[in-house]
Amino acid sequence: MTDIDLGLGVLDHQLLDCDGRRCGNVDDLELEGVGGSEPRVVAILSGPPAWKGRGRLGRLASWLARGRLVRVPWDEVTEVAAGVVLRSTATELRLGCGDDRLRAWIEKLPGSSR
Amino acid sequence: MKAVFSIALGILAAIGGFVDIGDIIFNVAAGATFGYQLLWAVVVGVGGIITYAEMCGRVAAVSEKAVFDAVRERLGFSTGLVALVAGELVNLLTIAAEIGGVAIVLQLLSGLPYRALLVLAVVALGLILWLMPFDWIERVFGYLGLALLVFVVAAIKLHPDWSEVAHGFVPSPGTGSGWVYAYFVVGLVGAAMIPYEVYFYSSGAVEERWTPKDLGTNRANVFVGYSLGGLLSFALMISAGALLLPQGIDAQLLGTGALVAQSALGQIGLILALVGMLFAVSGAAIDSGFAGAYSIAQFFGWEWGKYRHNAGAPRFTFAWIVMLLLGFLIVVTGVDPVLVTEISVIFSVVALPLTYIPILLVANDRAYMRSYANGVVANIFGVFYLVVVLVIAVAAIPLLLLSNMGQG
Repeated sequence: MTDIDLGLGVLDHQLLDCDGRRCGNVDDLELEGVGGSEPRVVAILSGPPAWKGRGRLGRLASWLARGRLVRVPWDEVTEVAAGVVLRSTATELRLGCGDDRLRAWIEKLPGSSR
Repeated sequence: MKAVFSIALGILAAIGGFVDIGDIIFNVAAGATFGYQLLWAVVVGVGGIITYAEMCGRVAAVSEKAVFDAVRERLGFSTGLVALVAGELVNLLTIAAEIGGVAIVLQLLSGLPYRALLVLAVVALGLILWLMPFDWIERVFGYLGLALLVFVVAAIKLHPDWSEVAHGFVPSPGTGSGWVYAYFVVGLVGAAMIPYEVYFYSSGAVEERWTPKDLGTNRANVFVGYSLGGLLSFALMISAGALLLPQGIDAQLLGTGALVAQSALGQIGLILALVGMLFAVSGAAIDSGFAGAYSIAQFFGWEWGKYRHNAGAPRFTFAWIVMLLLGFLIVVTGVDPVLVTEISVIFSVVALPLTYIPILLVANDRAYMRSYANGVVANIFGVFYLVVVLVIAVAAIPLLLLSNMGQG
């Protein structure tokens, strides 16, 4: 068991699904039992609504970008390395939807698979 | 043997890829205004890009992080967002300047109207990026950019006073207007250290899945590639200093540089200079377009990568298309690309600390970097250049105003 610095080692890091796909960042963390004896992380929050807790500019950006909040339970995390690696695919977790939506359009253009 | 060959190819591409429109404009103008007196500023700038590009490559190889991963992790969301917005605005000006530069060179080659060539330039760049495999693009543009070596030959043939050239490598207060001199110092250092180069370099290293085994390649690329790229900058300044200064020719046009090669080497010199500029500047337009897309994708955690097919990283692909179009819209208004170039370099200097501070922090973080964290030498240079960057960042805009953009 190694120590992980949540502020520097997890928050704002890349999320990677089980196929290694980049599917968002750790925008915020959901904690439980803060102020009690054993605070713990219960979930990773990703998506524009999670920026609200990230300072004034975060609130502004969140309001401008809208978008959906995705809550990934901490149990999904298999590894914290260069990125935070998850057990399931991005699609199962409903992460990376922005890329999926745009892909449908880009695929219609000739040469898009080059 | 194959590895040596591949490193050599990478270095060649780095030389061709080092010079962009900012380097050409500032070096030629500095030579025309101050002769060889500012050669030392190029040395300072090249030392800076070597110091920080080496760190970026090492961070990418060891921790798999590109620059904007580090920026967001270290500065947090809000400050990171400021760095992103500032970086993207400056980058947009750079893209605009490079596209404008491509059109000017095409105009010098063909004589067709400038605006039509702007359209041709942006469409051609877009199609090349959309259709061609990236390593191919990088190599072709890098190698053809080597035609700029014609300026080395031109500099020698123009018989500069070599003892004066040697004096130029020693920092001196300079003759003439102090504000203009200081403005050129900032411009030359800024053009050499322009941040899109490190965004691009570090992201490329992550994409090529560098590991600590590639640290040798990193060092070779950075030290040899950028030093030889710096040699091109010297050649531009020396040939401009030898030819333009004595004749009192002002260098406010991109074509002035090509004329220097022509008067030293005739028609073939002119053609080689223009071909070199065309590919060096087009390559820079491509690199800066990608750099902008890398930064935004890394900040928001999107899929990214130039080696992915276009639909493999959709928002990244969309981002570079939008960057090229916005850059095109800026120059198609008719604004002078040389003016855009100078402004992009000066404003990028203002944004430099936001890029370089997080890199220095991450390169020192043993949690990521283990035994590959910065040693004493890297930190001495890193801190020295951080001070340089902070000073020129504060001085840049006042000098822009006080020197009347280098016009005195």
